[in-house]
Amino acid sequence: MSTRDNWRNLGFLAGWVVLLLFVPPTFSIYIRSFFMFLMMYVILSLSWNIISGYTGYISFGHVVFYGIGTYATAILVVDYGWHWIMAVAASGLVGAIFAILIGYPVLRLKGPYFAIAMLGAAEGTRVIAINWVSLTHGADGIAYPNIENSFETYIAMLVLMVIAVIVAYWVGHSRFGIRLNAIREDEIAAESLGVNTTFYKMAALVLSAIFPAMAGGIQGYKTLYIEPESEFFILITIYMKLFAMFGGKGTVIGPVLGAFILYSVQEYTWIRFPTAHLITFGIFIILVARFMPRGLIGFAVDRGWARKGMVH
Amino acid sequence: MLAGFLVIAYSLPFAIGIYTENVFFDRQWLADLATVVLNGVMQGGVYAMFAVGLTMIFGVMRIINVAHGEMVMLGAYLSWMSFFWLGFDPLLAMVFTLPIAFGLGWMIQKFLLNAVVGGPELTPLLMTFGLGLAMIYAVEAVFTTDFKSIPYAPDSFQLTETIVVGKSRLISFVMALVISVGVFMFLKKHRIGKAIRATSQNADVAMVCGINIYGIYMVTSGISAALAVAGGVLVSIQFGFNPETGIIYTLQAFAIIVLGGRGHYIGAMIGGVMLAVMESLISFMLPNGTALVEIAAYGLMIFVLLIRPRGLMGPKTD
Amino acid sequence: MAETNEIALQVKDLKKHFGGIKAVDGCSFDLPKGKISGLIGPNGSGKTTIFNLMTGVLGADSGEVVYRGENIVNLRPYQVFNKGISRTFQITRIYREMTVFENMLSASSMRVPESEAREQAEKLMEFVTLTPLRGEYGGNLSYGQQKLLEFARALMTDPEIILLDEPAAGVNRTLLQNLLAHIHHLQEEEGKTILIIEHDMNVIMNHCEKIFVMDYGVKIAEGLPDEIQNNEYVIEAYFGHK
Repeated sequence: MSTRDNWRNLGFLAGWVVLLLFVPPTFSIYIRSFFMFLMMYVILSLSWNIISGYTGYISFGHVVFYGIGTYATAILVVDYGWHWIMAVAASGLVGAIFAILIGYPVLRLKGPYFAIAMLGAAEGTRVIAINWVSLTHGADGIAYPNIENSFETYIAMLVLMVIAVIVAYWVGHSRFGIRLNAIREDEIAAESLGVNTTFYKMAALVLSAIFPAMAGGIQGYKTLYIEPESEFFILITIYMKLFAMFGGKGTVIGPVLGAFILYSVQEYTWIRFPTAHLITFGIFIILVARFMPRGLIGFAVDRGWARKGMVH
Repeated sequence: MLAGFLVIAYSLPFAIGIYTENVFFDRQWLADLATVVLNGVMQGGVYAMFAVGLTMIFGVMRIINVAHGEMVMLGAYLSWMSFFWLGFDPLLAMVFTLPIAFGLGWMIQKFLLNAVVGGPELTPLLMTFGLGLAMIYAVEAVFTTDFKSIPYAPDSFQLTETIVVGKSRLISFVMALVISVGVFMFLKKHRIGKAIRATSQNADVAMVCGINIYGIYMVTSGISAALAVAGGVLVSIQFGFNPETGIIYTLQAFAIIVLGGRGHYIGAMIGGVMLAVMESLISFMLPNGTALVEIAAYGLMIFVLLIRPRGLMGPKTD
Repeated sequence: MAETNEIALQVKDLKKHFGGIKAVDGCSFDLPKGKISGLIGPNGSGKTTIFNLMTGVLGADSGEVVYRGENIVNLRPYQVFNKGISRTFQITRIYREMTVFENMLSASSMRVPESEAREQAEKLMEFVTLTPLRGEYGGNLSYGQQKLLEFARALMTDPEIILLDEPAAGVNRTLLQNLLAHIHHLQEEEGKTILIIEHDMNVIMNHCEKIFVMDYGVKIAEGLPDEIQNNEYVIEAYFGHK
């Protein structure tokens, strides 16, 4: 990737940011909120992609970081009176620390065992969130003071998305990302060729935890009310995974593309067919896993429309 | 090391119980404890039965079927439908619910999983995950997310002066035992059962010996689904359920086979009882324990995977 | 090249048992510096296990591997690699869904700036004639090309010692001659120490200066190619009792 390519891609990103900046003054609060959630899912898919796409550790419980973030922000704002932006930043740190704590045991597991251990970690954390009433207010949830904040949260989400995209771009075009790929392809070979796999896996997990935690924090503040069942909802993991897989895991543009397309589709079908759209999503996961394991980008690469590999 | 861990794990509820003053060691409390453990063992029989289904698929195909719990959930709904719509006794209805489940498992294997056996291990994982999702919401579309239950034999047996066992639980335990023994006998004696065991030993050799391994895969999937549905039926007469309870059963079944040793049938039986007893101890002794029982499965699973990945009875190499 | 008797690496009484099987059972040898050495022995004699112990892929039960005055046994593989000992595998372990170029770059040292690593990768791909395939997935290469790629990848950090596990297996004659020329080039021009595990006796006898013979996890002989060819223990190990 030459410097010229980097500048061109940065320009591309800047163009998108400008377009997205036009959304709040132009459209209704409903549309604004749609775009905010869209950006959130771009962040979530890109994050999931770092540990699962590049490193090959498929996480079935990534919502846990998102949930932890929503809770950290809400507790800091409501119970401790922090400014919400400070609280969101602190949530990133909380997410990172939490990733280190659970990463230490679960990253020693391979393949399906990692996937299911993460699922267990997410479900377990949800149960704790329900029961640790003194900290989390239990099943009652936490309500923010009621204010109209759709503009601030929109901008915050946009900024976070830009940072997430830049980080994802760096991962996707650096030797760091290549080393994560090497772990995915053959962990023993990677370790024998100078990759400290323990460190790199942990770094990947921490990176992939920080952004969902912060995005969750912003989302909670926007929604003004959080409770365990919806913040640790397994469907959020499913969305991250499906969007990234559909676009093409292990690429930068794949998860962005996947989130854009599928989140729009789900928004459309959600209103019209509330249950059927989730059945369709389930079937869609089966089809993607079976017939399109490398997603849209892989499809393009196989036909020679895009170059193979991430570094050229 | 595993033994040490298990001792600590099982004494933990006692320790917390003593700390929070839920443990008394008087006569009444000990009798309650005995009741709880006995109930746990019986519940364990049911867990073990559907965990055997999961371990069979893993043993034969090296696939982890994350839709297994959803199959249990489906079983509960089949049972509910036969009770309320058709007016059948749920246990009697197994005469047709189990064949339906077998057919479903057979078809899932034929149309979805046969193509990916032996490939990258994450593909079937993702596929069964998608399948589970589709099942949850298909059931939700019909039954909504409301909890359902079946009023079945709500009274209980007075075993001794102090020990009481729920009637439906005892019936479930006996049924689970009968079905499990039936499956073991089938695997031990029947020609197809032997072929299944041969395939799980070594699929290549089995193929060379003239076994149609894809046929065996379909039978295995069918039996596994039938076991899961049987588990669902037995759960449905004891507890409430809704479409989203499936994930808990998946995690329980997975914890059990990890504990017992993947692909190992007797291990799954022991693991099932151990998990259920652990859950009973937690719900009995911890303040607000019933809400925390789910932690048992996740905790046991993660620690066993770390300390002794092959579990209690699993083979050394994997 | 001047005749020296320096030692690059010392294996001292190394032991590794798997359950009841004594894969390596008290093996010792001194690897001469700046030379090509061969490690031979019948199947199951513990050659690959020695490699795995030397590179940290396996932990040893006892014994030492001394390199630059330091015992490197039981270090993690990446630490051994970063000290300057690189290896290939018996069955190639290239990254199948990464391009040839990415395979190369993955093994570069993070202490070296990326531009330098890229240059090194280009140079080595040129060296093993893989430049035309630099954008192709590793998994799409032929087996022989994969062997070349793995060999080139092992050179990315300019290691001092290179351990090659059966470089000739499955490689056609022309490619093999190429590979051997590369190996000689490394030894003669750059003074690398090379240890080769090989079953192809032509490769061993014609290209190695020193040969170590293993059987049942111990070294049974060492010497120059002629000495080994006439050593009765070696003949016995390979062909059994007369």
